[in-house]
Amino acid sequence: MVWIVLMLGLLGLLANLLRLQVFYGEELQARAQDQQTLWMREMVPRRPIIDRNGNMIAVDRPAYTLYAHPLMFRESSEAIAEALAPVIDRPAQNLVQLFRSGESGLKVIDRLPEAVANSVSGLRKDGLELVQGQERLYPQQDLYGEIVGFVNSDRLGQAGLEMSYEEQLQRPMREVELRRTGLGAVLPESTPEAFPTADELRLSLTVDSRLQRSVQQALRDTIETYGAQRGTVIVMDVKTGEIRSLVTEPTFNPNQFYRESPERYRNWAVSDLYEPGSTFKSVNLAIALESGNIQSGASVVDDGQIFIGEWTIQNSDYDYAGARGSQTLMDVLRLSSNVGMVRVMQHLSADEYYTWLETIGLGSLTGIDLPSEIEGILKPREDFVADPVEAAVAAFGQGISLTPIQMLQLQSSLANGGMLVTPHVVTGMVDAENQLQWSPDRSAPRRVFSPQTAQSVLQMMEAVVDDGTGEAAQIPGYRVAGKTGTAQKASAQGGYVDGARIVSFVSLFPSDNPQYSILAVIDEPQGGDAYGGTVAAPLVKTVIESIITTLGVPPSRPEELAGDRWNVQSAEEPVYENEGWDDWE
Amino acid sequence: MLNQPLRRFHWKALVQPWQNLDGVLLGLVIVLTFIGGLAIRSVELTETRADWVQHWLTGGVGVLIALAIARWRYEALSRAYWLIYALTNLALLVVIFAGTTANGAQSWLTLGNFNVQPSEFAKVGLIITLAGVLQERSANTVLAVIKALVITAIPWVLIMLQPDLGTGLVFGAITLGMLYWGNANPGWILLLLSPIVAAILFGVYLPSWFIWVALMTYIGWRTLPWKWLGAFVAGVVNLISGGLGNFAWNLLQDYQKDRLILFLDPDKDPLGGGYHLIQSRIAIGAGGLWGRGIHQGTQTQLNFIPEQHTDFIFSAVGEETGFVGSLVVLGIIWLICFRLVIIAQNSKDNFGSLLAAGVLSMIVFQVLVNVGMTIGLAPITGIPLPWLSYGRSALLTNFIAIGLVESVYNFRHRLKF
Repeated sequence: MVWIVLMLGLLGLLANLLRLQVFYGEELQARAQDQQTLWMREMVPRRPIIDRNGNMIAVDRPAYTLYAHPLMFRESSEAIAEALAPVIDRPAQNLVQLFRSGESGLKVIDRLPEAVANSVSGLRKDGLELVQGQERLYPQQDLYGEIVGFVNSDRLGQAGLEMSYEEQLQRPMREVELRRTGLGAVLPESTPEAFPTADELRLSLTVDSRLQRSVQQALRDTIETYGAQRGTVIVMDVKTGEIRSLVTEPTFNPNQFYRESPERYRNWAVSDLYEPGSTFKSVNLAIALESGNIQSGASVVDDGQIFIGEWTIQNSDYDYAGARGSQTLMDVLRLSSNVGMVRVMQHLSADEYYTWLETIGLGSLTGIDLPSEIEGILKPREDFVADPVEAAVAAFGQGISLTPIQMLQLQSSLANGGMLVTPHVVTGMVDAENQLQWSPDRSAPRRVFSPQTAQSVLQMMEAVVDDGTGEAAQIPGYRVAGKTGTAQKASAQGGYVDGARIVSFVSLFPSDNPQYSILAVIDEPQGGDAYGGTVAAPLVKTVIESIITTLGVPPSRPEELAGDRWNVQSAEEPVYENEGWDDWE
Repeated sequence: MLNQPLRRFHWKALVQPWQNLDGVLLGLVIVLTFIGGLAIRSVELTETRADWVQHWLTGGVGVLIALAIARWRYEALSRAYWLIYALTNLALLVVIFAGTTANGAQSWLTLGNFNVQPSEFAKVGLIITLAGVLQERSANTVLAVIKALVITAIPWVLIMLQPDLGTGLVFGAITLGMLYWGNANPGWILLLLSPIVAAILFGVYLPSWFIWVALMTYIGWRTLPWKWLGAFVAGVVNLISGGLGNFAWNLLQDYQKDRLILFLDPDKDPLGGGYHLIQSRIAIGAGGLWGRGIHQGTQTQLNFIPEQHTDFIFSAVGEETGFVGSLVVLGIIWLICFRLVIIAQNSKDNFGSLLAAGVLSMIVFQVLVNVGMTIGLAPITGIPLPWLSYGRSALLTNFIAIGLVESVYNFRHRLKF
C-alpha cells in the first residue's frame, strides 16, 4: 500500500513534468521569451521639441498607469482605498466603487508622475500594479497648440509638428528588443550601448517663446475687444522664411487635447483660405511694376468709382471723398484706393495678370513644414480672362483666396528684395551641444520680383504707415512699412457673408532694412469702426514692439526716441546672417 | 610509535555513537540541501540578498542537530511525548497572541534576530505525540482513532487560526498516514476523507455525490463496529457535508478560495491569482529536457515568479536543469522516502516505526503538493518543498525529523544485556 502511494505519486509528477518540459517545452519557452521581451516604443522617450532658445516645447517624462486587481487584495477594498486616496488625490469613495466594479485589471488612474508612483508603490499593497510608460508633456501649455499638435495614446503624432515630423521625433531604437523582468524593469545589459547617451537630438524650432507669448496675449486682447471669431498673427524672418511666432486664437492645450473639439486642432493660418482684400494691393503693385507696363513714378486717374460690365466698383471712402483725380502709385496704396488699383492693373492684359498670379505661387503650396497646408484658389484661366470683373476685383484682393501664411510669404518677397522663401518652423535636429545635425530639405528661395521693384513697393508701403490707412502702426524711432486690408468674408457656399469682414494688416519691419514680416488677420471683428487700420494695425504695432524688445532691433531713427525708452540691447544680433543669402543675387 | 594505536582508538570512539547510522539517508538529505542552496542562489543572483548562504548555514546546523539527536535514544521520547505535545501547543498559542504577521497569516515569532515559525516545528511535535499515543494502543479500534484525532485537533485548530492552511493540510496528512501505519482500518481513513470528497462532488456533479454517499455508507457498514449505526453515521455525514461544503467554502479567506479554484484554470485571471501558476508552469516547461543551464533560466533570473526561493523553488530547478534535473531531484526524494519506509519497517518497536512513518507522511505529502503546485496539478497552498525551499524553520524541522528517524535506525537493535 505504501509502495503504491509512493510510486503513483512519483509517476504522476514525472508524467506531468514530461508533459510540460518535453512535449510543451518549446511552446512554453516561446511564451517565456515573449513575456520577457519588450519593444522599445513604449519605453524610449520621443525626442523633445525646443524653441530657438532651447526652451522645452514638448518633452517626454516617465508616467505610470495604476491598475488595481481587487482579486489580489489582502485587505478590504475600503482599507486600500483609504490608503491610496490621499496619494493619488482621488476620493476614497470613488476608489471603493471602482474596486467593486471588477476583479482584476481595473485602471485606476493614468499619467501618474514618477514621484506619485513611488509613493503608491511605497504603500506596499498587494493588488496594485504600476505600469511604466512615457507621457508627452507640453510645458508651454496652449502656447504652441496649433504648431506642435499632440500625440495620441499610442504615442503617434496626430496634429502639428508631432505629426509632420513623426519620423524625426521617434528615436530609431524603437525597433530594438529589450529584456524585462517580472516586475517590469528593463535589464541594463539588454539595452543597446548606444542608448541613451548617443541620441540627445532635439527638434529645434525657429519660434521664440517670449515673442510667441506676448503675441498670443496681444491677439487675445484684440479678439476680446472686438468680439471677433478668431484671429491669427504670424511673424516671419523675411530673408530665411523662419517663423518667429505663429499664433492662432482660439487655440488648444495639447496636454489636454481631448477636451477640445478636433476642429481646434487645425491650424487655420495654413489650413484655411481667406480673401485678402487690400493687403494684396502691394503684391499687385509689384506685379504691375515688374511686368514693365507701368513705372513706379506713374499716375492713374481715380474717379472714386468705376463700372466694369454690370458691376460698380467704388473706393471704400467714395461716399464722402468722391473722386480723387490723378494719383501716384504711392497715393493709391497709401489711401488704399480700389479704383486706382483697378486702373493700375488694367495696364496688364487679364491673361498676363493671370500668368503673374500663377508665377508668384497663387494656387500652389508655400511648402511650410506644418501639416495640412492647403493651396490658394485661383479661378481657371479661361474664366479669369473672359470676365473683366475678375481681374478688376483681383486688383484689390477680392475673388482670390489664399492662406494667411501664403499672404505673408508674398509680402516678405517685397521686403527681402524679391525672393519667395519657404516659410518654416523647424530649424532641424540639434544635438546636446546645440550643433545642427540634420535639417529638412526645403526648396531654395525663388526670385519673383527684382530688388528695384521690391524696394519701390516697400517705400510705398512705408507711406501707408507714415501717412495713410496704416498710421495706427507707427512706432517712434522705427521705420515701419505696412498695408491694411478690410475684406468681405467669402462664405463657404460662394458669394459673401453679409456684413462679415476679415480685417488684416501686414507689416514689413524695419523698412530701412527689413528683417521681419508680420501679418495679423482678424475674422469678423464686431463694431462699425472695425477695419484693418483700426483693429489689425494696432495689434501689429504691439507685436512689433514685442519684436523690438525680445528679438532686439536697433531703432532706425534714434533721435526720435525720448530718453532710453527703446534702449535695446544691441548685443543680441540676429542669427540668420548670411544664411543662404549670398547665393541669391 | 605509541601514538598510532592511540589515535586510531580516539577516532573510533568519536564515531562510535553513530556506527549504526543510515549514512545513505543523511547523505541524500545533505545533497538535497546543497542543491536547494544552489537553486536559491540562482534565484537571487540578480538581487542583493544571499539567502542561499543562510540556507547552507542552517542546513549545517541542521546536520549537527540531526547527528546529536541520532546518538540519543529516541525511546526517551516515548515517555515524554506529552511534554512535547504541551510545548507544541504552547508555542502555537504564543504565536496567536504575540506573533508577527506576514502574507496574511500570523505565523512567526520574533526571537532576537530570528523569525521562528512554530507551526513548522509543530509538525515534528505532532509526529512524536501521535507515535507516543499510538504505540500504547494501536489504532485498530474506533476509540483509539478518535483519541488520536482529538489530540491532533488542538494544535490543528491553533494553526488554522493563524491561518496557515498549508501546515493544516500537512497535519491532516501526517495524522492519516500514522493512523494507517498504526493499524487503523483503511476504510476508516477513507471515511475520514469522505466528507471532503462529498463536498467537492456535491459542487461538481450531483449524481456522483449520490454514488459517493452510497459507497461510503457501504464502507461504514463493512468497517465500523455496530454496523447499522456506523453505516447510518457515515451516510448522514456524507449527505450533510455536501451541503456544508458551501458553508465551509464561505469560511475560507478570499485569497485561499482563489488559490483553490484557479489552479484548474489559471488563464482565467492571468494577471491576478493565476499569475503565479502560469509563470511557474512556463518556467518549468521552458526548461525542456536538459534545462537552460544553471543561472541561465530566464524566468528565474528575471524574477517572473514571486516567492520563487521559498515555495516555488522547484520551478527554478525545473527551468535551469530541465526534465533531467527534475528527475534527479525527485529521484533523490524518492530514495529518501524509500529509506524512510525501510526504517519504519525495521524499527525494533512501534514507537520508532510510527516516528518514521510520520516523517514519511510529512515528506511525501509536502513533496507531492509542492511539486504538483509548481507544475499546475495542485492549488497554491504555501507548502514548502523539504530541504530545497528557503525557510529556516522548515529546514531545521526537516533535519530534526531526520535526526529522529536516524535515531530510530541507529538504535534499531535491541539492547542486549
